[in-house]
Amino acid sequence: MNVPNEAVIRINGLFKRYGSVNAVNGISLKIGKGEVFGLLGPNGAGKTTTLECLEGIRRADGGILEIGGCDPQSDERSLRHILGVQLQSSSLPEGLRPAEAMSLICAWHGLPDRLDLLDRFGLTDQNRKQYRELSEGQKRRLHLALALACNPSAVILDEPTAGLDVQGRAQLHDAIRELKNSGVTVLLATHDMAEAETLCDRVAIMIKGRIAVVGSPAQVTASGNPDVRILLSTKNGCLQPGMNTGNARFLRQTDNYGVWLSADAASAVMELLKYVQAFSDTVEDLRVERPSLEERFLELVEGGTRR
Amino acid sequence: MKIFFKAFPRHLLLQFKMDIRERGTLLTYYLLPLVFYFIVGSVFVSINPASKQTLAFSMAIFAVTMGAVLGMPVPIVKMREAEVLRAYRVCGIPGFATLLVHAVSAFLHLLIVSVIILTTAPIVFGAGIPDSYAACFAVLVIVLFCNIAIGLLIGVTAKNQSTATLLAQAVFLPTVMLGGIMFPATMLPGALRTAGYIIPSTHAVRSFSGLAFGMNMESGAVLSLLILAGIGAAAAIVAALRFKAVSRA
Repeated sequence: MNVPNEAVIRINGLFKRYGSVNAVNGISLKIGKGEVFGLLGPNGAGKTTTLECLEGIRRADGGILEIGGCDPQSDERSLRHILGVQLQSSSLPEGLRPAEAMSLICAWHGLPDRLDLLDRFGLTDQNRKQYRELSEGQKRRLHLALALACNPSAVILDEPTAGLDVQGRAQLHDAIRELKNSGVTVLLATHDMAEAETLCDRVAIMIKGRIAVVGSPAQVTASGNPDVRILLSTKNGCLQPGMNTGNARFLRQTDNYGVWLSADAASAVMELLKYVQAFSDTVEDLRVERPSLEERFLELVEGGTRR
Repeated sequence: MKIFFKAFPRHLLLQFKMDIRERGTLLTYYLLPLVFYFIVGSVFVSINPASKQTLAFSMAIFAVTMGAVLGMPVPIVKMREAEVLRAYRVCGIPGFATLLVHAVSAFLHLLIVSVIILTTAPIVFGAGIPDSYAACFAVLVIVLFCNIAIGLLIGVTAKNQSTATLLAQAVFLPTVMLGGIMFPATMLPGALRTAGYIIPSTHAVRSFSGLAFGMNMESGAVLSLLILAGIGAAAAIVAALRFKAVSRA
C-alpha cells in the first residue's frame, strides 16, 4: 500500500525530549482513511510517547500533529469526538460496571448509550460484574468498546492484545478488520509481529526515537536480508552437514533437517534435489521459508543478521 | 456546556453509587463516624452531662472531618495511580469534572451522615437542638465545603497512597484533639489553645455554637464562619491549580 492521499493522521517532525533524552526525534508519518497502520519498535523506542502526543495527553516539544483536521495539542475537546483511544495501561473505578462505564462515556459525548458495543465484544453477560471482577481480557475488551463509543474516525490502540487469550485476540483482530472496512483509521502499537503482519496495511519500525523503515509488511520484510531459508529432510540423510551448493549456503542442522540460505530459492532447491537424486535418497520434507517481519525487525533492532 | 449539564448529574449518580459499593469509603463516610457518635453519645454524656449541649454538632463536625480528610484523599490518589483519570480523559471525560464529581458525591454522603447525627442526637441522647435550623444548615454546608476542599488538596498533592494517609492523619488528629470536638477548647493549655485557632474544626465548633445553637462565644462566630469559608476557598483553589499542573505534566 502506498502513502495515502487522504491522510487522517499526520505527523510532521514530531519531537519530544525527556531531560537529556530525545524520546521522539523528528518523525513524520501520514496515515490514510481506513488504513491499519502498525507502529513497531523495541521498548523505549518512542512508540507510546508518539501515541500519547497524538492522543493529546502529552505535550510535544516540536512538530505538527493532526488528526481528522484537528490539532491534538491545542483542541482536545474536538479531538475526543473523532479519536478513540485504548491506552497501554489504564483502569476504571473498581466499582464501575461495564454498562455503567459505557453509559458514562456516552453521556460525556452527548450520545445515547452504545450497549451494542458491549454485545459486540462479548461483555453483555458481564454486566452484573464490577470492573474489579472482570478478567484482564474482559477489561481490555471493555476499554476497546469504550474507545469506539464516540463513533471515531480514527482509533489508537496501544498494545491492545497484550494479556488476551487466543479467543480474545481473534475477537479483537476481527474488530480491527471491521473498523477498517467501515473506513476507520487504526493506528496500532504492538510487539506482536505476527499480528502486525496479518492486520496492518503498513508498518513503521521505530528505533531510538526515529523511524527506521516504513512500508507494507511485505515491503519492510523485503528491504532486509533477501535470503530465504530452505529446510530439507531426506530418508537416508545423504546431504552432509556443511555441504554448500552453487546457490545454497549451509546454515545449520536442526533435528532431521538441513537448513540452507539462498538468495535464489528456485536454483538452490533444484541443486539440492539433484544431490538427493544422485545419492538415490528420497525427500521426506522440503520447506522454503521467506524472512518474516519479526526477523526483519530483529535485524534492524540488533543491527545485524539473525536467522 | 449543554453536554456538561446533562452528563454531570449522571456521572454524579454513578459516583454516589460507587462510593456505596466501596467498602473503605463506606467505612469512613458512614460506619466509623456513626459508631463513634453512638459510643460518645452513650458514654461521654453520662460522664459529663454538660456535653449534651454540644454533642450533635461536635459529632457532625467529627463525621465530616473523618469522611473528608481521612476518607476522600486515598481514593483520589488511587484513581491517579491506576490511571483512571487518563482513561477517563481519552474517553472524553474532563479531569476537573471527575474531581468535582468526587467532591460533590462526598458532600452528599457527608451531608446525609451529618443530618442523621444532628436529627437523632436530640432524640436518642437528649442533645441540644439548634436555635435556627437554617443557620445550622448554612454552617454545615460551609464546614463540609472547607473539609472537602482540604481532602481534595491532600488527594491531588500526595504522591502516593501512603503519603496521602500520613498527610490525612496529620490533619485529622490535631483537628480532633485541639478543635474542641472531644472536649471544650477552653480546657487546653494556652499554647495548644492558640494553635487550635488555625484548625478548621475550632472555627466549625464556634460557628455552630454561636450561629446555630445560640451559645455565647468569646469571639465572633461570624468571623469563624468566614475563616472556614476562606480556608475552604484557599484549599480548593490550590487543589485546582495543583491538579491542572499535574494534568498538564
